[in-house]
Amino acid sequence: MNEKEIFKEISFNVVQGRFRSEDEGIEEGLEGRPGVKDLVQKGIEAGVSPKKIVVNALTQAMDSVGKKFESGEYLIPDMLASAECVGGAMDILKPLLSKDGVKTKGKFLIATVAGDLHDIGKNIVKIILKGEGYEVLDLGTDVPADKIVETARQQDVQFVGLSALLTTTMRSMEDVIQKFKAAGIRDRIKVLIGGAPTSQEFAAEIGADAYCSDAFKAVEYLKQVQPA
Amino acid sequence: MIIVGENINGTLPEVKHILLKQDRDRLLELAQSQAVAGATFIDVNVGTGIGSRQNELAAMQWAVGAIQAEMDIPICIDSADPLIIEKGLEIRNGGRALVNSVKADEKNITQIVRLAKRYDAQLVGLAMNAAGIPETERDRLTACRKIAVACRENGFSIENLYFDPLVIPISADARQGRVTLKTIAGIKSQFPDAKTIMGLSNVSYGLPGRSRLNAAFLHMAIYEGLDAVILNPLDEAVMSAVKTARAITGKDRHFRRYMRSFRYPAKEKTKNE
Repeated sequence: MNEKEIFKEISFNVVQGRFRSEDEGIEEGLEGRPGVKDLVQKGIEAGVSPKKIVVNALTQAMDSVGKKFESGEYLIPDMLASAECVGGAMDILKPLLSKDGVKTKGKFLIATVAGDLHDIGKNIVKIILKGEGYEVLDLGTDVPADKIVETARQQDVQFVGLSALLTTTMRSMEDVIQKFKAAGIRDRIKVLIGGAPTSQEFAAEIGADAYCSDAFKAVEYLKQVQPA
Repeated sequence: MIIVGENINGTLPEVKHILLKQDRDRLLELAQSQAVAGATFIDVNVGTGIGSRQNELAAMQWAVGAIQAEMDIPICIDSADPLIIEKGLEIRNGGRALVNSVKADEKNITQIVRLAKRYDAQLVGLAMNAAGIPETERDRLTACRKIAVACRENGFSIENLYFDPLVIPISADARQGRVTLKTIAGIKSQFPDAKTIMGLSNVSYGLPGRSRLNAAFLHMAIYEGLDAVILNPLDEAVMSAVKTARAITGKDRHFRRYMRSFRYPAKEKTKNE
């Protein structure tokens, strides 16, 4: 397999959501064929640059998954299977990338805000962003504003994603943003918000940088503010 | 999940006719339609109730041979008679096979376990003894224990053993649905390495809306840990129940099987028609 074929196979299997060789794909009968894990390892052994694997295979495949999700062709489990592949591939590649002097795309802190225990959406965003090459710090659910601000400062985080599923808890997002201001770090942080009751208008009202209706909207926004 | 297609059964008038006439085309049609519908094993039961043991031996040989000459699918050899079981095992191709079945009966338990071992087949062990099907889950588990002991004594790995908790029509005794389910749970906790299998459709015998009852019962049994099922794969309701139950109990990673069947509603509809 040459470099191009390896990229093609990795992309195909990310889109099929197959990490290990025993995994089933979207299509029938792929069990037993090499999965993303095997192919990435094969690529590394063959001397393919880890950075190229990320850019030419993983990122492109995830773009295509995002489009399929957007169009309704892919549903949540399909997207998660693909994201799992990319996340797993990144775990293999990360040590090599840092050896090559390639940095991650940045630190992304993610949390469900105070009073709210919903985390399905947050976890999806986390997996997708990890797959995109961000270093994701997940603070969990019901996270007090102070803890978010303190962690963001200590860890020198560039991006913060806030999630809420309740109309009663979404207000806590504003609290977090105000505390970023009070701490004097609002300018160096991009705040992304999401969750069922939130909206573009709400984001504008509380002074968030972006409203994301799903994980891929977050990726889209991050690409705008941080071109590859 | 193993789906054993039950439609080749000599007690059904149509199948009886096929076996008596050795109608190869119609036998293959029965096997193929089940495989297409999702069966992973084809059950072959040649007990027509008429003719001699010699006739049955010949019928088993003919049916298994005819199916495996055309299709690459494992056979579930359905007989309580060691001689007929051996005939089926002998004629089968080298692949996987399931012997259905043995019970906790001194008379031929050792013989059947040894046959399964010798021919490297898997084995269904019925949760019953020589006296019949026990009414309580406790007594059914006692029968299972006897079978497990016989397997151990004869070097047959319990991982290749499928316990059948036994399904009795609920129309005659409404408590029996629960007994079967509790027996599955008991097998799973007492013999964690063994598998479970059951014939589904008996549960609804004598009642209307059978396929609904079968589907509901299958959901509950899969929840309790059922690993394999003997059913009519041409029944869409029960085949759907396999997928929905496995999706709900987390046994269908990334919902692959479920999605393949139900992703496109329009497609699903045309498939049902």
